[in-house]
Parts: sequence; C-alpha cells; structure tokens
Amino acid sequence: MSRQNPDVLLKAIHDENENSARGHLKIFFGYAAGVGKTYAMLQAAHTAKEQGIDVVLGYIEPHERPQTKALVSGLEQIPCKKIKHSNIELSELDLDAVLERKPQLVLVDEFAHTDAPGMRHTKRYQDIKELLAAGIDVYTTVNVQHIESLNDIVAAITGVTVRERIPDAAFDKADQVEFVDIEPSELLDRLKSGNVYKETQADRAMFNFFTLDNLIALREIALRRCADRINIMSENVRIKNNSDFHTDEHILVCLSSSPSNAKIIRTAARMANAFKGILTALYVETPGFAAVSDEDKKRLRQSIHLAEQLGAKIETVYGDDVPYQIAEFARLSGVSKIVIGRSASIKKHFFNKPTLTEKLITHAPNMDIHIIPDSNDIVKYTKMNFKKNKDFSLSLRDLMKSIGILLAATLIGYSFSWLGFKEANIVTVYIMAVLVIAVITTRRLYSMVSSVVSVLVFNFFFTVPKFTFMAYDDGYPVTFLIMLTVAFVTSSFAIKLKNHAKQAAHAAFRTKILFDTNQLIQKASGTNEIITATANQLIKLLGKNIVIYCCENNKLGNPHIFRADGEASEDELTTDNEKATAQWVMKNNKHAGATTDTLSGAKCMYFAIRVNRNVYGVVGIDMNDSVLDSFENSVLLSILGECALAMESEQNAKEKEAAAILAKNEQLRANLLRAISHDLRTPLTSIMGNADNLLSNGASFDEETKHLIYKDIYDDSMWLINLVENLLSVTKLEDGQMKLNLSLELMDEIITEALHHINNKGGTHKIKTINSDEIALVNVDARLIIQVVINLVDNAIKYTPEGSEIVIKTKVTGKNVEVSVADNGYGIPDESKSKVFDMFFSGANSIADSRRSIGIGLSLCKSIVTAHGGKIFVSDNKPQGAVFTFTLPTKEVNLNE
Amino acid sequence: MNKTTILVVEDDTPVRNLMTTTLKTHDYKYLTAKDGASAIMEASSYNPDIILLDLGLPDMDGIDVIKKIRTWSNSPIIVISARSEDSDKIEALDCGADDYLTKPFSVEELLARLRVTQRRLNFIQTQVLSTSSVFINGKLKIDYAAGCAYLDDTELHLTPIEFKLLSLLSKNVGKVLTHKFITENIWGSSWDNDVGSLRVFMATLRKKIEKSPDSPQYIQTHVGVGYRMIKVE
Repeated sequence: MSRQNPDVLLKAIHDENENSARGHLKIFFGYAAGVGKTYAMLQAAHTAKEQGIDVVLGYIEPHERPQTKALVSGLEQIPCKKIKHSNIELSELDLDAVLERKPQLVLVDEFAHTDAPGMRHTKRYQDIKELLAAGIDVYTTVNVQHIESLNDIVAAITGVTVRERIPDAAFDKADQVEFVDIEPSELLDRLKSGNVYKETQADRAMFNFFTLDNLIALREIALRRCADRINIMSENVRIKNNSDFHTDEHILVCLSSSPSNAKIIRTAARMANAFKGILTALYVETPGFAAVSDEDKKRLRQSIHLAEQLGAKIETVYGDDVPYQIAEFARLSGVSKIVIGRSASIKKHFFNKPTLTEKLITHAPNMDIHIIPDSNDIVKYTKMNFKKNKDFSLSLRDLMKSIGILLAATLIGYSFSWLGFKEANIVTVYIMAVLVIAVITTRRLYSMVSSVVSVLVFNFFFTVPKFTFMAYDDGYPVTFLIMLTVAFVTSSFAIKLKNHAKQAAHAAFRTKILFDTNQLIQKASGTNEIITATANQLIKLLGKNIVIYCCENNKLGNPHIFRADGEASEDELTTDNEKATAQWVMKNNKHAGATTDTLSGAKCMYFAIRVNRNVYGVVGIDMNDSVLDSFENSVLLSILGECALAMESEQNAKEKEAAAILAKNEQLRANLLRAISHDLRTPLTSIMGNADNLLSNGASFDEETKHLIYKDIYDDSMWLINLVENLLSVTKLEDGQMKLNLSLELMDEIITEALHHINNKGGTHKIKTINSDEIALVNVDARLIIQVVINLVDNAIKYTPEGSEIVIKTKVTGKNVEVSVADNGYGIPDESKSKVFDMFFSGANSIADSRRSIGIGLSLCKSIVTAHGGKIFVSDNKPQGAVFTFTLPTKEVNLNE
Repeated sequence: MNKTTILVVEDDTPVRNLMTTTLKTHDYKYLTAKDGASAIMEASSYNPDIILLDLGLPDMDGIDVIKKIRTWSNSPIIVISARSEDSDKIEALDCGADDYLTKPFSVEELLARLRVTQRRLNFIQTQVLSTSSVFINGKLKIDYAAGCAYLDDTELHLTPIEFKLLSLLSKNVGKVLTHKFITENIWGSSWDNDVGSLRVFMATLRKKIEKSPDSPQYIQTHVGVGYRMIKVE
C-alpha cells in the first residue's frame, strides 16, 4: 500500500470535521407530485422526534391532504413569513427564525421552490444551504423534473417545462436521498380520489402531466438518477481512497446567447458526468459584443449561470474568429471533446461562409466534435429575430462625414479629369475615399454603402456618357466591378484592422490594470493603503463606486467609500441593508447583493476578499442596475485575490511583529527575573542569618555586636524594599510602554516625598534641595517620578564616598522643568556615560557593593522619563562628580480664583 | 499613662505581632481582630479610640469594613495597605478613613501616625468644649469669624481661596483630605483644572505659612493622595 500524502490526509480530516459541523441533508425524492414525499418526510420526522431529536417544521406546503395534515399536528411549527407580492400573500420559510430557534432538525418542503422577491435568496435550496452551514439537519422534498440536467429530458417527455429547478450538485451533495416510490397506476388512482390536489386542479394536473406513460417514463428517469447519484458517490469514495482514478476527458461547451444554448450545455454536462470528465464552458467575446442587444446579453448570462450550476468552469477568450479561438483554446487546454449546437453559427454569418461547425472541423481536425441538434420546439422561446443590429444603425455625424468625403473625392476626380488624368487615377481616389470612410466612421454600413455610391458617382460623373448612369464602353462594367470589389475589400480590411487595434487596446488596458494592481498592492504598506490601491484599480476597471469593509475577528469594520463619480451619497451606500448584506457575505464567504441570487435588494454587489476560508474584507460595487460582463468579473476576482493575498501577508506580518514584541518582552522579563533572583537571595541570606544568630545566641552577644546585626538587618530590608518598588514600576512596563496614571503635581512636593524614602539613616551624605522660584507644575505619574528621584539620589549615595554632598535642584526653563541631582563624588568616566542607562549595567566602582546593583534603577529612570515625554542625561560636575539631569514638560494651569 | 485603646485589624500574624509589640512597648491598650467580621464585632463592643485596619482581609474588603464602622462610629481609622496604587488609598479616605500607611512601614512611622491621630482626637474634644471661632495650632491662629489668619501674631495676607483652603484643612486637622474632597469643597467640582489650581494655591499658601518649605510644619503633602494639616503641640 502506498503511503498517503499527509496533505491529502489532513484535507480529508478537515473535510470530515467540516462535515460533522455541517448539518445533514436528507432529500425525499419522488418522480411526480402525489407520490407521498411530504407524507414520508413527516413520518420520518415523527420517528426522529420519538428518538428525542429536536424537530421543527420550517415550511410545509399547505396541501389539503387529510393524512398529511394529520401528521403535521404534533410537531412544532415555525410560523411562515408572509410576503405581500402584487396582491397575493405568499408564505415563505422564515430562515432567520429557524436559525434563531436552532433546532436539531428542520423540515422544509419543496427543495426547488423559488422564493418570493425580497427574500434573502432567490431559491430555497440556498436557504437550505445556509441552514446546513449553521449545523442544522434538514429534511426536504423534491421531484425529478426539478433537477437541472434532467429538465429538458423531462420537458421532452411530458411537454411541460418546469421553471423551478435545482442544480445537480445540490442533489448529489445531499447526505441521504430517499426515493419515495409508488406504482404509477396507483398514483393515478390516488389522484382521482383527490388526495393530491383539489378537484379543479386535479383535472388540469392530470391532463398536462399525469398520464400513465408519462409517469412510467418519469419514474424510470428518477430511478436512474438515484442510481447515478450512487455511482457518483462511490466514484468519489474511490477518488478519496486514492485508487488509480483519473480521466483524460475534458469537455468543452461553447456558450452563446442562442436560446437553444441551455440544451447544449445540459447535454455537455451529462456527457461530462458520464465520462467523469471536466467540463469547461467557453465564451468567445467578439468585437461585436458591445453591440449585442440587451436581451441577448441577458440570455448569455443565463447560459453562463446554468453552466456554472452544472459544475462547468467558465472561460472567456477574445477574438473575432470564433472557430479559431475555440480550436486554439481547446488545443491549449487539452480539451478532448467539443460540444456545439448545429445552428449556433447561422446568426453571425451572412455571406454564405462555411458554418461554424465546418470551420471548427478545419481548425481542429483531431478533436471529437459533438453536434447537438437545435430543433427546440419544447422550449417556447420566440425565435431570435434579428433585432435592428446596431451595426447598421445610422448616425448623422458619420453620414455627414461619408457624404463629405465622397464629395471631396468627386471634386478631386473632377479636377483630375479637368487636368486630363486617366480614369484609373479617379478610381483610385474613390477607393481611397472609401478607405478613409471605413477608418473614420464607426459602422460598417458607411463603408459598404460608400463603395456602392462611389461606383455610381464615378459612373455618373466620369464615364461617357457623363451625368447618366449608363456606360458605353464595354470595359466599364469590369471597371465598376473591380472598383466595387477593391473598395469593399479594402474597407473590410480597414475595419477589421481598426477593430483589432481596438480590441488589442482593450485587452492591453485590462492586462495593464491587473499588472498595475499587482505592483500597487505590493508597494502598499498597511491595510488602508492596500484597500485604497484595490479600490482605485476597481474604479479604473469598472467605473463604479466602491465600498470596502475590513474584517477583523469576524467583525465588519467601518466602510471605506471610494467614489467614481462623486454623485452617489455616502449614506445610500452604507444603509443598514447594505451593511447587513456585507455582513452576510463575510459570514458566508460568498458573493451577494445586487444582480445575484442572494439579497438582491441591496444596491451594491458584494464580494468577499478572501484566501480560502479567511475573509479579510468585503468589497461592495455600486452596480447601478448594470451587470458585470464575464471578463470584468474575472479581472475583478483576480484583483480581489491579489488584494486578499496582500492582506493576508499584511496580517501575517502583523502577527509576527506582535509575536516578536512579545518575545522581546518575555526576554526582558526573563533577564530581569534571573538578575533579581540572585540579588534577592543575597540580602535575604543576610537578614535570615543575622536573625538566626540573634535567636540562638542573642544572649551571648555584646551590645555593640547586637547593634551591628540590627543595623544590617534594617539596611538589607530597606534595600529589598527599594528593589521591590523598582520592580513594581517595571510591571507598569507593558508592550514596551508605560501605563501612566497622570495627575498634576508640584515638582517640589515630589522631591520632598522622594527624600522621605531615601535610606540615609546614618546621615552619611549631606543632601540639599534648591527649589525653583517659579511654580514647577507637571502632569505626571507621581509614584513613578518619585521613583526616579529616589533612584537618582540612591545612586548618588551608593557611588560616592561618605560625607559627599548631594544637591537636588529644580529649575523651570521655558516649557520644561529640569531636575538635577549633582554629587561631588568620583564622577562617571566618559566611556560609561552612554551605557549607564542600559539595563543591567552597573558601574565597576570600587565603592559600590557589586552584589547590590542589578542595574535596573537608571534604565527604569530612563523609561519613566521618556514615557513622560522628557529627557534624562548625565554630565560632569565641576570640579568633580556627576550630575544626572532629567526634564519634564511643564503644565500650564488656569487658576480658578 | 496612655489610655488610648487601639483596635488592630490584620490577618498576617507576624505583622500583627509587630504592631502589638510596638503598641505594648509604648503603653497603648490594644485589641486585635483577624478578619473583617470580628473587626466589626470588636469595634462595636469596645468602641476603640483608633482603628488600625488592613485593607486586604480574608473575608471582606477593608473598604466595606470602613463603610460599616462609619455607620455608627467616628473613631479615627488608619488604613494599612500593601496595595501600592494611590486609588485604593483615595477610595479608603473618601469612604471615611482618616489616614493611611503603606506596607512596608517603619515602626517610627506607625507611632508618628498614632500621635498625629491622638492629637487630633484631643483637639476635637477641646474644640467641642470651647466652640470658639478661633483655631490655634502652634504659632498659627485662624479667626474664622473675622476671616483672618495670623502667624506669630502677624496677620497673613491670604487670598480668599487660600483662606478657604487653610480653613478647610484646619477644620479637619490631623486628617488626610483627598484632592477630590478639597476641590469639591472649595470649587464644588473636581476637574483636572481644579486639581492644578489646588497645587498652585497650596504652594503659595505654604510659602506664606511655612518657614522652611522642605520640611513643612503645618501642611503635609501626600503625593498622589492629598494634604493634611498637622496638629502642632
């Protein structure tokens, strides 16, 4: 047995975990209405309830079937949401109420139902998805005709097109499917006895749908679908277990705006399913796309949506040679089969060119090409009529231009003929005129008409007999023909060239945006810059207003609004409804809002900025009722992906930085602790030993010895107290910053207070204070500043010989209060001056008792003074000694008299 | 002969021993309590003259003990706390404590505080008897009715606010008054600006009444907490 890749194992475990957190979906599957799905579901619910599971009814279709009704009672029902829609009151599943109630199991009838407008999702299966994601088990029901890929087959059998459909994936991903079966004849009997619909409805339903033949066929399809599902599942299990499973089949289906496209896509999807291959849906965007009617665009979007639902990957390529593009794409992506419709080509080819299929065969001779017949008489779309194509619509400006140029050509021709030039020259002038028209006008029509007109004008003005449309010379018809052909061909080439240039510019623009985005985002530092760069690029791409929310700890931050036009008001883009939509997107990690199926009432369309599961932000695009085309969509997604990656690395960097600070603080504390534990033990040993001596042999000591011992104990305790005070100050150091408890204090008072704590018991040093004349008021943490003074004075005592003089002087200089502690001891050598404020530095002074100097005192002073916005420094005292000076900003006070 | 009875409330035995030993050697009478409940019991049954109260008690917060005792007794309470934050002291003082000591404290310090409090007690007793409108503290004399203050029989030139301050401190002689208490009594509010003003007026007042500002005789500063007027013998 081969060893499994750990990543795969991890992913499997992850998926498993996710599965356990997700709710389970059980579908009661039937082949027609009336087979008893709801009844079976309710029975299952009662069984579950008996087993102690918390069951509620989310939504049950209100059929008046007595048996079903009887089962409904006895189960808790969550009231339906009533929605008023064009005078009809509709009952809908109250999704939020169910999420709030959070039962273990909820029953929701009609998987394929389409929600009323104004609901969060457009389809009920999306509601159910959300319930499952919230960890609630769901029972639901669905009939075979509602399954997307079977839709057209069912329609072909029964003659009824069902509009409420669910994607196959939703069905296949269900954890359990229970097929509710009944003999078709029995079903018919049941219908007749009125168990299913009420009388009037029963007649109609039976007339359209419930014939014995239909039911048998439907039953067969449904059973086969169930079997297929099991196949798919076992296949998945095999793939999971790493059996040698792979397929080379890659099926390509071409998307178009043709109404029959849906059928082709479904067929391709079924093929992909059968071959277990990949399905790619390709759309070739031609230069003429902009001119396509809105109706066609809408149909194209529907096709794209359908392909997505059937699990296809959507790709878009650009070019005007459709078959060539398809063939190239197929060749490069390793496609094995191409599925196209038979008549898909008719639309765009007016001039008896070979059909798309034929051309495709020429371009891709090695490819399997499956052609699906297009006789779609079931789907009752109106045959696409050629709407007035914009290619042929008139514009006055272009018309004037064309006429002007032809007029100019005629004038030049006239002058040529007056100068006695040959007719060939004049013909050339006209051809040039047509060429110019082709280049400067926007529509093909002008150059085509101009070709004809130029021939006629030439004929009229320059051929004998002049000023008639007749020509005597036998050669003229040939001249006209050649002239027309040349004019036509040159103008077509010119137009083609122009279109190519346009297209290339367009593509280059988009590529540039992507490239720029990449660069800008890489350059940006900080979330805000990344967001701004992203938004600016999106505005450049889409020309729409952008709203971006950052997410932190699963909370939506404040909206950042970037306006494209400066018209839309900010409030409109950040209403509660908009925010709620953004919130939903963040929570569910899916796009929603305007033009989508979810929360489509919002003004903006929202996308999550995400990397896998982590959502870093939500982008809202003010759609203004327009729709993104597929290329915009894909570029948009790339930009968002880029943005998400940048935000991820930003976040990682932040976390790293935080970890580094934490580590540094930990390091500092560890060092401190190590230093302290040593320095705590020494005085404690002295205290304990001395006390022990007194306890055991106290009587035998003479008074002088006793006094010495008492003094040692006292001194060591004082030293410990001072150490503890310093340590308490150190605890105020958090994240490298002091937590200050500021209040207004008088510097003189602080110094007086500090001197109370100085251990100068023997009066060994002379301490003098010189107060300033002005009132030195500072806004400080009094305890900490007292500690600074204590440390400085203690230091002075410690490092100077007995009898030295220490002068503490306060001075107000401008906006600062300056306090200096000067001694007349040995001073500090220059090389040590820069280090005295470092942590754990202690002067190698002979006077200093080395065990008593862990060296946090001065470093703490520096931290404290710096935190107060002041400075601390050391200088030489004249004639000898050291001066430690610190400054603090003064605080002005308005006196309240 | 020292008749003052002192209630020592402290849960830590060595510290309690230290305090009782000190009191014994200085001829104070004392009672002890190990927790809040017994402290309240002792205080109500023996009505001690001074209470030394540790804030960190095993059964209840010292602040609550102060509040309870203050409902019936005006005996001075000296809070003893190992909490270094000023806010604890301020809270205790605002709840009715008279003074505070921070651990570790020296024996000298403890005795000094007791003396101050005793003097305050004596002063209040005589003050109640005489009900005079003149306050005399060492060389300092304040005539509340006339609105004048004298040092060494020389009239001091005080601004109205300075006089108000001096009066407030003198009326609460021996008691630590928090900044909040003082500013609320002088200005009726306790904004940052008032605290700043208080500092300035206190500094000018001191310059007028203290001979050497380094070792003040009358007004003691408790940095971060407040001020107190000392009763000078």
